[in-house]
Amino acid sequence: MRIAVVRPQVPFAYGGVEIFSDALVRELQARGHDADSVTVPFKWYPGARVLTQAFLWRLLDLTEADGKRIDMVVATKFPSYLVRHPEKRVWLVHQFRQAYELDRTDLGQFSESPEDRAIRRRVQELDRVGLGEASRLFATSQNVAGRLERSTGLVAEVMPHPAQDIPYRNDGPGDFVLSVNRLDRAKRIDLLLEAAATEPTLRVVVAGDGPDRQRLEQLVSDRGLSGRVRFAGRVPADELADLYATCFASYYAPVDEDFGLGPYESFLSGKPVITATDAGGPLEVVHDGSTGRVVEPEAAAVAEAAVWLRDHPDEAATFGRAGMMVAAEVTWDRAIGRLLS
Amino acid sequence: MKVALFSPMPPERSGIADYSALLLPSLRERADVVVVKRGTKKPPRGTDLCVYHIGNNPEAHGWIVEALRRTPGVVVLHDFVLHHLIAGLTIGRRDGHGYLDAMEREGGVVGRLLGHAVLDKRIPPLWENRPEDFHLAGEVLDLATGLVVHSRYVHDRARATAYSGPIWIVPHPAFPVPDLAAADVGGEPLFGSFGNVNASKRIPQLLEAFAQERRRHEGSALLLVGATSPGFDLDRRLQRLGLDGTGLVREGYVDERRLWQLMIAAHVHVSLRSPTMGETSGTAIRALSLGRPLIVSDAGWFSELPDEVALKIPVDDREVSTLTAALELLATRPDVREAMGVAASDLARREHAVERVAERYVAAFEQAAGGGAVADAVLTEVSEAAADVGIAPGSDEATEIARRLAEVQLGD
Repeated sequence: MRIAVVRPQVPFAYGGVEIFSDALVRELQARGHDADSVTVPFKWYPGARVLTQAFLWRLLDLTEADGKRIDMVVATKFPSYLVRHPEKRVWLVHQFRQAYELDRTDLGQFSESPEDRAIRRRVQELDRVGLGEASRLFATSQNVAGRLERSTGLVAEVMPHPAQDIPYRNDGPGDFVLSVNRLDRAKRIDLLLEAAATEPTLRVVVAGDGPDRQRLEQLVSDRGLSGRVRFAGRVPADELADLYATCFASYYAPVDEDFGLGPYESFLSGKPVITATDAGGPLEVVHDGSTGRVVEPEAAAVAEAAVWLRDHPDEAATFGRAGMMVAAEVTWDRAIGRLLS
Repeated sequence: MKVALFSPMPPERSGIADYSALLLPSLRERADVVVVKRGTKKPPRGTDLCVYHIGNNPEAHGWIVEALRRTPGVVVLHDFVLHHLIAGLTIGRRDGHGYLDAMEREGGVVGRLLGHAVLDKRIPPLWENRPEDFHLAGEVLDLATGLVVHSRYVHDRARATAYSGPIWIVPHPAFPVPDLAAADVGGEPLFGSFGNVNASKRIPQLLEAFAQERRRHEGSALLLVGATSPGFDLDRRLQRLGLDGTGLVREGYVDERRLWQLMIAAHVHVSLRSPTMGETSGTAIRALSLGRPLIVSDAGWFSELPDEVALKIPVDDREVSTLTAALELLATRPDVREAMGVAASDLARREHAVERVAERYVAAFEQAAGGGAVADAVLTEVSEAAADVGIAPGSDEATEIARRLAEVQLGD
């Protein structure tokens, strides 16, 4: 089949969705499909620009390319699912969250002005139209599917996507907690840093980059954590595998996260995960006392969980192995079989 | 966003007053809603949007139409036919010319002549015997910057008048069911009809059908609750059909508590209506909340109820026999009653939950208040980009862009 995997591209940003959709293209190609990635730059501010930028997708003609028919498009994220195609499948990573659960929070975008309120509603209408047209609709997690049903009434099949393919291994428990995530307020990495501030024996490595980096570095400086917290930045695959292999646990506790690849990567390295009770998608695979620790989103609780896992390496290893069994169930063969069926 | 709400409110006795009171707390969780005092014609300072609840009763809604005339806004159209309201606002205020103008606007010269005949008392009032032929909603629709309606039926009728503003279909909210015991009323099963007892509620047809059904199932009973409309000779009809002795339980106007108790007692709710003014039936919504199967007329809003919750009776020359068959089916098949009741409860929870309805209301308000500016911003940016690359207005390319905008509802 000839398949276009479509996604918006925020210039100079590369994160979970980009990793996922690029991997999907590669995996489709590996199974003999003629797959390609189609991206359109996306800027969601100011004012009504979120709508006009979304509308760009509506003008695209992806029924064929260079005289050859495109059999299917697979969209992943707002606003790419506004593209028109007779065989449009959506594997939803997330909607435009500012228009939904992040509205009227610190992470929201829309003010109380009548114009902003109306823009938010228009975004919701776009979702109803774009997602409602899909011939099949999948969501990467129960959390994403639940939000979708509550906001639009549309029902999606839950289908997690596999973690990125890097040389995962387990070198045994090291002496640090690892955070792998985009440095963004919603990812709540500051909670881990505050935990380190309350527990002087805790060491932390933060992998990833993003707009919150300066604030987080300032926090490390303010709390006197410079000797115990290291910012590794964006790391290549081998180095990421090294970090997972040598940490004693990973931390992944965003606010109401859609899905979250982090726990799967950690599990594939045999490492347990620390998350928070309000983390959303990760809670579907991270279970307290089974595959990791689930604690209240408070620094002291995160610190306690980390110290416990560090000081109980046998239990931590058991949690990691249990997690690995969960992650091993999520394969590209199964996912692509469902996606194309 | 500040919303000024023009609506009858309790203690006024009106279905729309109860409706607004039910929704108000949930609306206020989502927007700054100010209820305008009855008789006030101007919205409070700083109002972003005026919302007018309009039904067909001039006592309850006359002042609201007057406020709408001063400040256009979103109209919640509870009835599509507003003939009685307009008659009250014109003839009722000694403004015969106003009535003639309204009739002419809708019915042309013939309408004006009929209006004269009404004023001269040469024919009975049209709002009593032919309201559906002259809805007289034109002025209200002209003033409405957007419409909230409760059914596809009213949506389509508004569009048929060439109304071009936005229309949002928002379901009627379900009333919370009070924790009450059923009234002690016999009947196996007990059919219940609630509301005014008159011809437009198809009571003559219901009585005939029930009389036939009861010949086969002596245990069944029919509960009629509500005031008898003037001129409707219920007693004579009951006598003729042999229902004046047993089988029929009659209660006149009852208070809210008693109404619920009687509704809980009924195994099947019958809610017939023709002609329809486009209204939603509050009693039918209560039946859904109670998880009771419904028998309804296949007309207006009632036609839009899912088949799983309601048996629909076409209003035609076989109406009585179809209705008889429906009564018999539900009398003899408790399993069907049970399944329909479960579906009714599900529908009430899913579509008519107060929180869900309030969310849809506020979505409509927000689109109404800011949607115009947003649409302008989108169209300006898109048209400027199109012009920059030489796409001329009216060209095939511009038409294509307009079509795509309309598909995703950005084109208005």
